[in-house]
Amino acid sequence: MLEVKDLRYAVNNNGASQEIIPAMSYRFQKGRFYAITGPNGSGKTTLAKLIMGIYAATAGKIILDGVDITAKPVNERAQAGIAYSFQHPARFKGITFRELISIAANTDDATEILRLMKRVGICSLSHLDIPVDGKLSGGEIKKIELATTIARNPKVAIYDEPDTGIDLWTIEPMVKLIKNEQVNHGTTTIVVSHNKAFLEAADTVLILRGGQFFFDGTFAEALPHLNNISVCDYRTCGDKTYDECFR
Amino acid sequence: MNAFDKLDKELLRAVADLEGIPKGAFNIRKNGALLARECNANIEIENNAKGTGIIIRIKANTRNESVHIPVILSQAGLYDVVENDFIIGENCDVAIIAGCGIHCGSDQQEGHAGIHSFHLARNARVRYVEKHIAIGDGSGKRALNPTTKVQLDSGAHLEMELTQLGGVDEALRVNEVVVDEGASLQIIEKVMTAKRQTATSQTSILLRGKGARSNMISRSVIRDDSRQVLYAVMEAMAPCFGHIECDAIIMDRGTNETVPSLKALHPDAELTHEASIGKIADEQLMKLMSLGLSYDEAVNRIIQSFLK
Ligand SMILES: Nc1ncnc2c1ncn2[C@@H]1O[C@H](COP(=O)(O)OP(=O)(O)OP(=O)(O)O)[C@@H](O)[C@H]1O
Ligand SMILES: [Mg+2]
Repeated sequence: MLEVKDLRYAVNNNGASQEIIPAMSYRFQKGRFYAITGPNGSGKTTLAKLIMGIYAATAGKIILDGVDITAKPVNERAQAGIAYSFQHPARFKGITFRELISIAANTDDATEILRLMKRVGICSLSHLDIPVDGKLSGGEIKKIELATTIARNPKVAIYDEPDTGIDLWTIEPMVKLIKNEQVNHGTTTIVVSHNKAFLEAADTVLILRGGQFFFDGTFAEALPHLNNISVCDYRTCGDKTYDECFR
Repeated sequence: MNAFDKLDKELLRAVADLEGIPKGAFNIRKNGALLARECNANIEIENNAKGTGIIIRIKANTRNESVHIPVILSQAGLYDVVENDFIIGENCDVAIIAGCGIHCGSDQQEGHAGIHSFHLARNARVRYVEKHIAIGDGSGKRALNPTTKVQLDSGAHLEMELTQLGGVDEALRVNEVVVDEGASLQIIEKVMTAKRQTATSQTSILLRGKGARSNMISRSVIRDDSRQVLYAVMEAMAPCFGHIECDAIIMDRGTNETVPSLKALHPDAELTHEASIGKIADEQLMKLMSLGLSYDEAVNRIIQSFLK
């Protein structure tokens, strides 16, 4: 089980403290599939990065299977079983598909590496030794990012908008793949997404707004909120320009 | 072979990946003198008239052959200067593996300056690999100052892989290339410096003929208090295509100057450059750490792959 307790994250914005996540407490049950959605800027990526350890919590605790990991660095959290697919994956100069998956899966076995690449829809052998660099298309980089998380066979897998840039024909298979991982390995699965396909596949839908979960329930229960534009906190845009907001 | 002692072997392995006698033609120079040479039906190696170096002639249409010409230095106080000419016939497709390994065991300076001139005739293809390395516990300064001058006739193609990965205190590299009609050039230069080492690289490429192409990639890693300077000038006199890509990673307190320069003297020239200097990107470190690597392991991986 993964638990966040009074988790807070604030940044210094020109001398003033800006609360991105004011105080969040939540328990992610083992082996369950969660979809987190919410307006742009509501704190979804921030929450994911706090759990992975990429951002240090300002206050509060993160507990994995009863162990307080709040002070642990990223690599120790990875070893403890947390994996994160970045919303905007890093691009390298020189590191290849083969190397990246080999690090993630902890194997040099080319057959195993190719198998993982096939599972995320990169079928060609010719990709094995091409660099994971700025030349990759938006979809390709997201697929390799997905492969690195699957390769780790983690206890907790967090996918940050895995479907951005993914073509229409690949989204359904991607949902199935993530679902299969959850079912077959008992992976606690957290998918950040705006895509209904993921929200429908999840056991629990969480809607984040202003750094807080204001909804926690099934997809059917979530639907009215998803269709209600006032969930979007556009009113905070400022009252003068309010009418000009395209929403 | 008995002519090689243990140190020779170590240096040869480092600069030319040689475990013993190379396959194909070769010329091995040690401490300013010839150590071993082998020619064959297509590749001729002889001393030049002035006695300052060698001339390598490769017959037209020679394919899938290689020449190894390593230089090794282990004599205290020696500064070895050599002038080599490479004359490559039409339609050849060959590999030339050069390089210099210095072992410094004293407090005296040691160095090597190789002046290499290439002439690739029409449609010849050459892969030129040059590695520089210095080892040993001596405190003497190790200097390497290679100069490479190249003429690419029409349709010729040259791939240059220039690497200096450690131990050289002072390096000044000069590359001058003329690319004629339909010819193409690819330069990949990889330099890592540490301690108080300095490395300067000056490349000028003249795209002289229609359809000439040139791509230069430079990767620098600057550790400790070392310093690297790179000048890359690409000048176009015809409708042609040229690109320069230079990336420098500064690890500690090192400094870097990167000066790419593009000159289009023809309206249909297409020249581009990308340059960056900076620390290892945080997002790259975070990604590798999220795959379980420690901070130091992640740094090493990024640097190794960057220079691979
Ligand atoms: N280091 C920072 N400094 C200042 N503001 C930050 C910082 N990091 C995040 N923010 C702000 O925090 C808010 C939440 O960002 P976050 O990336 O978590 O949003 P998100 O819900 O993932 O949005 P999206 O749907 O667009 O991906 C944003 O308004 C963002 O600008
Ligand atoms: Mg986000």
